[in-house]
Amino acid sequence: MIQSNIPRSGVAIAAMLCGVLLAVSQAPPARGATIAAHVRSPAGAAIADAVIYALPAASLPLPKPTLKIPIEQIDREFVPYVSAVQTGTTMVFPNRDPIRHHVYSFSRAKTFEIKLYSGNAPSEILFDQPGVVTLGCNIHDWMIAYVQVVDTPYFAKTDAQGGAQLVNVPPGKYELKVWHPTQKGGGEPQAVVVGQAGVAASFVLDVAPRKRRYKPPLDKMHY
Amino acid sequence: MAIHSVRQRIIFLFVSLVVAIQVIALGLITTANQQVARDSSTAALQRGERIFQRLQQQSQAQLEQGAAILSADFAFREAVATNDTATIASALRNHGARAKASAMMLISLERVVRADTLLPERVNTPFAYPDLIKEAEKDGKSSATVSINDVLFQLVVVPVLAPDPIAWVGLGYQVDDATARELQQLSGMDVTIASAGSAGAWILHATTLPEPLKADLLRHLQARGTLLPNEIDLVGETYETRVTSLPTGAGNSTITILQRPLAEGLLPFQRLNSAFFWLALASVALTIVGSAVIARKITDPINRLALAADKIHQGDYSSPIVVEQQDEIGTLAASFDQMRDGIASREKEIRRLAYRDGLTGLDNRAMFQERLEQVIRIAKRGGSYPSVLLLDLDRFKAINDTLGHPVGDMALKEIGQRLVGTLRASDSVARLGGDEFAILLPTGDAAHVGTVARKVQTALEAPIVIEGQSMDLGASIGIAYYPLHGEDVTALMRSADIAMYVAKHEKSGYAVFDPSYDEDRKSNLTLLGELRRAVENNELCMLYQPQLKIELGRMTAVEALVRWHHPAKGLVGPGEFIPFAEHTGSIGIITRWVVAAAVEQCGYWHRAGLSLRVSINISARDLREREGLPAFIAEALRSNTVPAGLIGLEITESALMEDPAGALATLERLHALGVTLSVDDYGTGYSSLAYLKELAVNELKIDQTFVMGMESDRQNLAIVRSTIELGHNLGLSVVAEGVETEFELRALTRLGCDFAQGYWIGRPMPVDELEAWLRAAHPA
Ligand SMILES: [Cu+2]
Repeated sequence: MIQSNIPRSGVAIAAMLCGVLLAVSQAPPARGATIAAHVRSPAGAAIADAVIYALPAASLPLPKPTLKIPIEQIDREFVPYVSAVQTGTTMVFPNRDPIRHHVYSFSRAKTFEIKLYSGNAPSEILFDQPGVVTLGCNIHDWMIAYVQVVDTPYFAKTDAQGGAQLVNVPPGKYELKVWHPTQKGGGEPQAVVVGQAGVAASFVLDVAPRKRRYKPPLDKMHY
Repeated sequence: MAIHSVRQRIIFLFVSLVVAIQVIALGLITTANQQVARDSSTAALQRGERIFQRLQQQSQAQLEQGAAILSADFAFREAVATNDTATIASALRNHGARAKASAMMLISLERVVRADTLLPERVNTPFAYPDLIKEAEKDGKSSATVSINDVLFQLVVVPVLAPDPIAWVGLGYQVDDATARELQQLSGMDVTIASAGSAGAWILHATTLPEPLKADLLRHLQARGTLLPNEIDLVGETYETRVTSLPTGAGNSTITILQRPLAEGLLPFQRLNSAFFWLALASVALTIVGSAVIARKITDPINRLALAADKIHQGDYSSPIVVEQQDEIGTLAASFDQMRDGIASREKEIRRLAYRDGLTGLDNRAMFQERLEQVIRIAKRGGSYPSVLLLDLDRFKAINDTLGHPVGDMALKEIGQRLVGTLRASDSVARLGGDEFAILLPTGDAAHVGTVARKVQTALEAPIVIEGQSMDLGASIGIAYYPLHGEDVTALMRSADIAMYVAKHEKSGYAVFDPSYDEDRKSNLTLLGELRRAVENNELCMLYQPQLKIELGRMTAVEALVRWHHPAKGLVGPGEFIPFAEHTGSIGIITRWVVAAAVEQCGYWHRAGLSLRVSINISARDLREREGLPAFIAEALRSNTVPAGLIGLEITESALMEDPAGALATLERLHALGVTLSVDDYGTGYSSLAYLKELAVNELKIDQTFVMGMESDRQNLAIVRSTIELGHNLGLSVVAEGVETEFELRALTRLGCDFAQGYWIGRPMPVDELEAWLRAAHPA
């Protein structure tokens, strides 16, 4: 899912871990249970990059997002490929490449455009509508990233094994949903009741393989 | 066409050969060229087809690329993303114009038309070409040729990416003549794009063909559909044709027709053909000229030879044949010329023989008559008065008899020379035969003729000395003037002849013809008249000389000899009046009298049981009358009932030689009667063996001069021997005359001679004396 054969892979991993840490650390500590979800294909294969989120059945006071979530551009790719944020989250798009990018979205949940820039993006974008936002780069057609904007702070993204942990979920009834950028079918929402001990959920999702568009190799000047 | 000359034949042969070769070559070349042209045309078409396909792919790729660039345009995507129909339509129009597309449409991911610049009424209807979207989903782009309201478009469908597809955009590029022209420029072929329209009829959407061809092609399409033949005619011109179908979005069939005029492929070959044609024409022309020259070289000398042959045919041997060539024709011409020379010299020789007297070298009778005729012809035109002199030697017979023929011949030669010596070059002398000569004076008055006559007399009166013997000859000359004494050859000769006999009779030397010498006067004046009287008065009588058949020792034949009891002169021998009778033409009377008497006597003997063959002498003049004498003899035989075999006729060799052809014919008739024919005086007439063989004679009589000389002269003996052998070899019996000694008879017996006649056997005797003599010789 993330390239490991490029010089900045270490930075990428660090940033990702950092993001996870940030996402985890923003919840009040030890206030709820954990929903352990697992997503697999009808054939039983683990499905990564699926976003699992739990929408409270009853109106609950929910914590507001406080952290700015980044989607970096590393080696002419968006990192991460799939993000999930709570509605109202501000996202930043730091450019780690020596070249410029032009990030845009025509998605209904958030339409925006950050014209050619390098380094830290000149503007932060507030994702204030739930929905899927597809990000592209007007310079590099193959660059693509998805942000699932959800009206809940309880969400997680499956790892390579198809597992995801939704932590600090207060007890209560939730509608547990799953989303994947290339999903074709399956993955019906599940109602779960979270107690003190937490719950486990499993989804079967029919997913098309990610089709990467052609990415030309770097030239001698690394452009 | 009938060909009559070698030249035409040669030219015809050469030219037809060359033409045949050229025609075959032209045929082969044309066939090969057409095949090559077709092949190359086909190859060019196939190449064109590949180029065309690549071009189409390229143009499609170009269109797709253009579409992709358009769909990737940020502003366009932005506009599409607004989801505002008016904005989208405006953007489509704007960006469509930028991409040079004539129709633009936007299709939602659900394949519903959201905007359509060509047919706005299709908005919110399902997209008509879902296959294109399916393909674009797979490949990121798709394209096809589609017919929209019978207008053909190249429709390209690409996604609008943000960066996932958010919609499909379709760009339609109308296919029209400009498209075809572009393709034509690149492929070099005529391009037509056609499809079956909605109404079923074919539509030509794009073509590079001009109007009339277009209509023609359309007709072909209506008739055969996509199954067009490889070669079709468009307004009289053949086009190589290839049909390929184009991918279409819908089910209609759209085809591309690539065409190339066959003539275009043939053009270089046509140039080659025309070059070859002119070359062939030139070579035929050259051949005509060349063969004409060769033919002329061959036929010209041949024509000259033919001309020369024609000249020879007409009797002109004088023109030499000139052909300078060194080849076979030259050789032929040379031999031809030799042949001409040969013929000329032989003809000269023949003429010499025909018109010359062999003995004296003078003209002969024929030549003399010809010359006389010529001179008369000239005289008739006026001015000249020719005259004829006939000469008869007075004592020649005596010389011949006493000194022999060789001496007589020499005397004749001498006389000929003397005559020539006394005359001018323009005069001519001829020997007419025997001792008869003639002189022709083309001009001159009577005085001149008289002078000539006297000069001739003087010349001939001089003694002739041969082998030491002196002879006096002298001549009688008869003279006739033209036209006084005759207007033609016969009359003149006759007049001169009569004059000559007058001169002879009167011993006057020469006499000029006078009309008073008519037949009556003459008969009183001349011997002729006396002869006639002799016949009428029975003054002639017959003597018979016996002939001994040596083998039997018996007299089996007699020779009848005529004698004249002249009232004044007494008994006259035949030598004295027969030549005269011959000259005057009265010999016929005597011959008839002799024949009648001899046949009558023979019949008498025959009836009396005495089988004696009676031989009668016939003169040369008798031989000339072809019909009369044989008929007379036949009648005498019949009336006396005498078998023909008992009658013999003796003709002197010289008489035979005088007119060989005439003699031959008369002898044939006499021979047919069955009588025995003898050649008298054989050995004196220079007759050839070949001639003798042709004559229908039975017997040879060796001249008495040879027989009488046998005893003293071995040469005469040899002549007698060889004559006997010759006669026997020719199947003739041989009679020896003049046998006067026992020695001669013995010799003849030894030599195998058949008959002997002479004083030793028996002298000529009257009938009663002979009968007595026979009784004494052969007692019963
Ligand atoms: Cu970029």
